[in-house]
Amino acid sequence: MMSTHTELTVLPKNLRRRHGGRNLRGGAAPYLFIAPFYLLYALFMIVPVFAAIVLSTTEWVGIGAPTFIGFDNYLDLARDTSFGGALVNSGIYTLIAVIIVVPVSLLVAQGLNAQGLKFRDAFRVAYFVPMVISPIVIALIFSLILDRDYGLLNASLHALFGLPNVDWLGDPTIAKFAIGFVLLWRTVGYLTIFFLAALQNVPKELYEAAALDGAGRWRTFTTVTLPSIRPVAAFVVVTSFISAAQLFDEPYLLTKGGPGESTLSVAMFIFRAAFERQQFGYAAAAGVVLFAVVFIVSQALNRILGIGRDQ
Amino acid sequence: MTPESPTLSRRGLFRLAAGAGGLALLAGLAGCAPRSTAPIASGAVDLSFWTHDDAYVKFFTDAVPLAEKASPFAYDIHVTKAGAADIVTKLIAQAVAGTGTPDVVGLEIGAFSRTLRGNIAPELLVDLSDAVAPFGDDLIAARRAPFSKDGKLYALDSDTPMTVYYHRADEFERLGLPGTFETWDDFLAAGEKLAAAEGVSLGAIATSDPGGTVQTFHVHLLQRGADLFDESGRPTIDTPEAVETLTMLSAGVQSGAIATVSDMYGPGMQSGLKSGKILGVNMPSWYSTYGIQPSAPEQAGAWRIAPLPRFASGGGRTGAGGGTGFAALRNKPATEAGVQLITSTYLDKEQQVARYKAMGYLPTLRSVYESQELIALEDEFFGGQRLFEVYRDIIDEAPAVHQSENKPIMDTVLSGHLLRAYRGQVSPAEALADAAHDFRGQARG
Repeated sequence: MMSTHTELTVLPKNLRRRHGGRNLRGGAAPYLFIAPFYLLYALFMIVPVFAAIVLSTTEWVGIGAPTFIGFDNYLDLARDTSFGGALVNSGIYTLIAVIIVVPVSLLVAQGLNAQGLKFRDAFRVAYFVPMVISPIVIALIFSLILDRDYGLLNASLHALFGLPNVDWLGDPTIAKFAIGFVLLWRTVGYLTIFFLAALQNVPKELYEAAALDGAGRWRTFTTVTLPSIRPVAAFVVVTSFISAAQLFDEPYLLTKGGPGESTLSVAMFIFRAAFERQQFGYAAAAGVVLFAVVFIVSQALNRILGIGRDQ
Repeated sequence: MTPESPTLSRRGLFRLAAGAGGLALLAGLAGCAPRSTAPIASGAVDLSFWTHDDAYVKFFTDAVPLAEKASPFAYDIHVTKAGAADIVTKLIAQAVAGTGTPDVVGLEIGAFSRTLRGNIAPELLVDLSDAVAPFGDDLIAARRAPFSKDGKLYALDSDTPMTVYYHRADEFERLGLPGTFETWDDFLAAGEKLAAAEGVSLGAIATSDPGGTVQTFHVHLLQRGADLFDESGRPTIDTPEAVETLTMLSAGVQSGAIATVSDMYGPGMQSGLKSGKILGVNMPSWYSTYGIQPSAPEQAGAWRIAPLPRFASGGGRTGAGGGTGFAALRNKPATEAGVQLITSTYLDKEQQVARYKAMGYLPTLRSVYESQELIALEDEFFGGQRLFEVYRDIIDEAPAVHQSENKPIMDTVLSGHLLRAYRGQVSPAEALADAAHDFRGQARG
């Protein structure tokens, strides 16, 4: 920072004027070069955000002129038990993503990073394949596996342990965790790639030093591995939180938010309000609330985990 | 010598950008300007046609010669196929854009309810009341109701989807069961014994997705002579008839007489049918084509249909479920051509016969139920049974289905409470009272 300042102070006078003056001797070129980004950014990021905020203060069925209703949509959301339930469900999905999926991904990455592991590439592919399979196909496969009466899982549990049939997708409580399991199955491989890249960048000397100091496996993991991969771990936690908070595919395809509304996520709530109930203003209000929650929690996680700060 | 770059102030640049943006906006708006809406009264017409079902594409394409004979138009139909729910979404989006709406659109009954909110239906769809007036009572009133609002008919139903009791005749014979049950009480008594002794069920209902869960309740409720909404679209679920219906279904589920599956078209249902654990089901007439035959083609010849068992305290021997209405879009050059295509193909008796033979959709004109050609038809999948004899027997008991803009809300709210009753967590009366309370909350008054 200091050196830059120094360099600027010794710039020739005419160049200094060029940087600080109103007239731009460089012409329009620099602005034209950066214009596409700002234009697209404004068009596809800023405008939709403001449009959603404006829409959230109206009642609109999708046709005709929207009617301005102030903050009524937000007040209705506060009273809507369905929205409250969706917030709780999305909270559960984010907890599953952050508390279970992320550590499991790290565990898998640790396993794949082990010295002398055979068929390493085959394992990597196997873990990553769920991420590239269409969610529709995943939903079909898991609805076959998890069906209460005719599913593979119940049949296996009954054959092996004589257990009675469990309604994996039909019980309001179990269905949430069934969706959490599918989320785990689908995303672990993807997150593992990040952790694996981070683990491979941990200097071997640190492990050697830890070994010389007599550190065991757990101690090495907590004092060498974790601190070394902290930036990547923080990134994975925040992105996992954001994508889980917006979870739509799994509950929509596996249970349609049911039984009842027990697996309804906020993203599904928004979709339902807009495209099944023609309540676009209400959906926009729910979208604004989701945006606010995700933004605030992400910022909090950023601060807690120190993303972007030096070690 | 390098020429010096022209200087441009920041303000100048902004002016330039604003000018360019303004020009682009004007050009865009010019492109969006409505095209000529001069109505086409006769002759060649390019007709944009949207549907969710391949069968309708074939039906309307095949019916073009008839439509051309009955109207002054020469049709060239351009088909767009999309999911049932997506069609309404896209229809509204195109209407807002002011361009690209179809001339004729097929609206699945569940998706149609979305057009009842606000003024969507009156703004977009032609009122067909005058067009169907000459048919009087022959056009079955029960099938006008689902596509009407404020006394105006916005779409013509393609089907009279009456519910019947599909059952495995071979298994019924082996187990010593009668082909029909007189009442649901008889059905439940036999079903309970069979579930305990053989591990099989006489019926099935959906319990996973909200729409399917409510549909399987709704078909029984309609049979009992009640509905989810009244003619004005007000909810009517907290009624003695609804309690009686839910009590019957809950008793069936808890005794095992009625199996629960995730949905009526999914792998669970297919497994139940294939394995012979589900021996019967109460579903609409189209369920043979979309549910049973694709799921268990190897059981051809083993199935039969029968009128539904009665509720001891009232109602008919059939309910109703599903349906797709075809509507013409207002204020388009081909609006009149669209109306004439729908009415000439849908309200022609020969076409109704052809539609049943080709697609299995039951006629919407009462007089067609006397067609000897249909009555004499034997269905191989149903062991040569004359299905139409059953349908003719029950057609006058077909209940009207009343719609509401809040039907999607009803589906999600009611489904959860139905499941609580099926599981025995609350009584049927409590479940329905709670559903009515939650519905009022979500329908925002």
